[in-house]
Amino acid sequence: MRKFRILIIIVIFILLFLFFTRLLSPKYATSLVEGSMISQYYNESKDHEVVFIGDCEVYANFSPMVMYEEEGIKAYVRGSSQQLIWQSYYILEETLKYEIPKVVVFNVNSMRYSEPVSEEYNRLTIDYMKWSKQKVDIINASMTEEESIWYYIFPILRYHSRYDKLTEEDFEYLFKRKDNTFNGFLVNKNVKPVENLPVQRKLATYQFEDICYDYLNKITKLCKDNGIELVLIKAPSLYPYWYDEYDEQIRNYAEENDIAFYNLKNNVEEIGIDYSADTYDGGLHLNLNGATKLSKFFAKLLKENYNLTDCRGDSLYEQKLEEYKEFIK
Amino acid sequence: MNVLLLIVSILLYASFGWQSLFYVFFSIITTFFAAKHLQGKYKKAILISTIGINLAILVFMKFIPYTELSILAPLGISYYTLQIISYLVDVYKGKYEPEEKLFNFTLFIMYIPHLFIGPISRYDDMKKQLLAKRKITSNNIFDGLLRISWGLIKKFVIAGRTAIIISTISGNLEYNGAYALLAMIIYSINLYADFSGGIDIVLGVSKMLGIDLVENFNSPYYSESIKEFWRRWHISLSSWLKDYVYIPLGGNRKGALRKNINLLITFTVSGLWHGVNYITWGILNGIFVMFGEKFKTKSKIFNRLVTFIIISFLWAFFIWQDQLTALKMMGSVFTTFNYADLGAQILNLGLSIADWIVLAVFTIILFAFDGNKEKILPKLQNSKLEVKTILIGIMILIVLILGIYGIGFDVNNFIYSKF
Repeated sequence: MRKFRILIIIVIFILLFLFFTRLLSPKYATSLVEGSMISQYYNESKDHEVVFIGDCEVYANFSPMVMYEEEGIKAYVRGSSQQLIWQSYYILEETLKYEIPKVVVFNVNSMRYSEPVSEEYNRLTIDYMKWSKQKVDIINASMTEEESIWYYIFPILRYHSRYDKLTEEDFEYLFKRKDNTFNGFLVNKNVKPVENLPVQRKLATYQFEDICYDYLNKITKLCKDNGIELVLIKAPSLYPYWYDEYDEQIRNYAEENDIAFYNLKNNVEEIGIDYSADTYDGGLHLNLNGATKLSKFFAKLLKENYNLTDCRGDSLYEQKLEEYKEFIK
Repeated sequence: MNVLLLIVSILLYASFGWQSLFYVFFSIITTFFAAKHLQGKYKKAILISTIGINLAILVFMKFIPYTELSILAPLGISYYTLQIISYLVDVYKGKYEPEEKLFNFTLFIMYIPHLFIGPISRYDDMKKQLLAKRKITSNNIFDGLLRISWGLIKKFVIAGRTAIIISTISGNLEYNGAYALLAMIIYSINLYADFSGGIDIVLGVSKMLGIDLVENFNSPYYSESIKEFWRRWHISLSSWLKDYVYIPLGGNRKGALRKNINLLITFTVSGLWHGVNYITWGILNGIFVMFGEKFKTKSKIFNRLVTFIIISFLWAFFIWQDQLTALKMMGSVFTTFNYADLGAQILNLGLSIADWIVLAVFTIILFAFDGNKEKILPKLQNSKLEVKTILIGIMILIVLILGIYGIGFDVNNFIYSKF
């Protein structure tokens, strides 16, 4: 009986431990919403024909709802802030456990980063991923020197110091999540025209590191093994600069591997992007207006080149589209 | 069990730097074989030379700090050297027979719980416990966990916060006057919480293994004089110094003057044991021990307050390790009147309001516990396992939530593991 009572007490403390872990962890519901994007996917329908992977250049610039409305494409953006190429690979691997899309679109901007950038960015991508082999792999591949996998397994070890920084959000979203995107697209209606772009600096080397190629090869192989068409893109952001030397390397890689590559900056006029009105941060990301234009253009491009179904009329998507239109009014 | 204990001890010790094993094994082997000849013809020469070799290593490691070799200084060398000396002296004096088995002696020295920050154990006491048939009992485990949890609160909740203040103030010499006074008072709490917290963890782990190590603290800040303080603070070091320095020098047996000289020498040795920068600290402590008793009043509270303030001032040598700076900072308390400025800047010393409140609450709990230990401890020990489980759970949650740890915090960094 004594052992039983002690066991009950231990169980209560484990529950308290879990409660405080949840309370102290960031909710990413109304602030730093980028941290909620990866996990929103788990609650979505898994019938996408196009899946985007990559950094902010995908989640800010491509609106699946526009693509659905224009061409009937069911798409999802599994993007996250500063998503590094190995993170894109493991997120793709995880996605393929749920569904096999016809097309995977990878934004190659992350080819320039060969090392983890910061713990904060890692957290935004990884924190709310479901536990799986991919999560363990993504943690091991992404950790900065000062991080430890234990901080991910037991988030309270990392977030306990938030005890005096808790806000209403932490209590309101203690037991629920908030979806902040429309199929992975984060809407931003603000306008900040391009004014002064940073100086384009010369680099010591423009050669992408081996580790980036290794993961690009893995993405390519994963797609081929699953019969998926891989499409490489470079979103039309004005900075950080996408150097010609970068472009050439990706173009060569695409040719060698028989993969399509679209540097969408070359299509800015055709798309109709006006950088004095279509960006919310002076050229780094497109705003709702810009993203709508780009999504229309890209949806048409995909529809013309890949065997995608026109899914217009799908009740779930029609409802989502209605909600989307209501939201962006 | 002892074989396992020794293997774990060696592996853990090696994990902090396998090179350290050479030094510690050298000391163990030389001492073990030397002790076997401490009753023979050349016993005095063997005693002096063996102590000399071990002291030479200690001095070389501690007093020649900025060489490549100093990086290899084995952890816990100050502690195990004192244990070795006490063992040699006791065998020499015939207090007990030399150990026959190298394994037992190695385990005594390498016993990991006490190797890094003490307490400084005596061989005869440890041998009885190490060689006794021990059982791991639920009572020992729960008592050990209680003690560990309390130690963790001291280390991570209290000392974690005080260390931030100390680091901010000591890192900028413009923080003098009121800031220096605050640093000294906070450091009193910091060192006590850090060191006694570490000792609680050590004693707790040991308790779980069925071994009761000697207590190292007895509510030191309730002392009414510096002399009393040294009977309550770092007890294992104080008693070691008394037995192996003060008494061999003659103790109080040769008149008042010699007694005072012996005291001064003993405290100078104590300062030296901490490092060359602490000699002045040792001498000043010696002076306060020599004359402090004469100034005691009838008021316990007043005596305790004065003792606490003196001790806090003396910790200045630990905060600003350059002795001249420490003296200047002590002086600035009386010459720089920036007390109003401190009030305005209190939240710029590294702690938020919430942190200050947490620090204040747990410091009060710490002192309240110390003041009522005699009542609380027996109740705790006799309480049901369910009650102990609840207390352990609460304390672990407190440490997890309110502890200062994580990225940028070195969990191995106990202040007294440096000495």
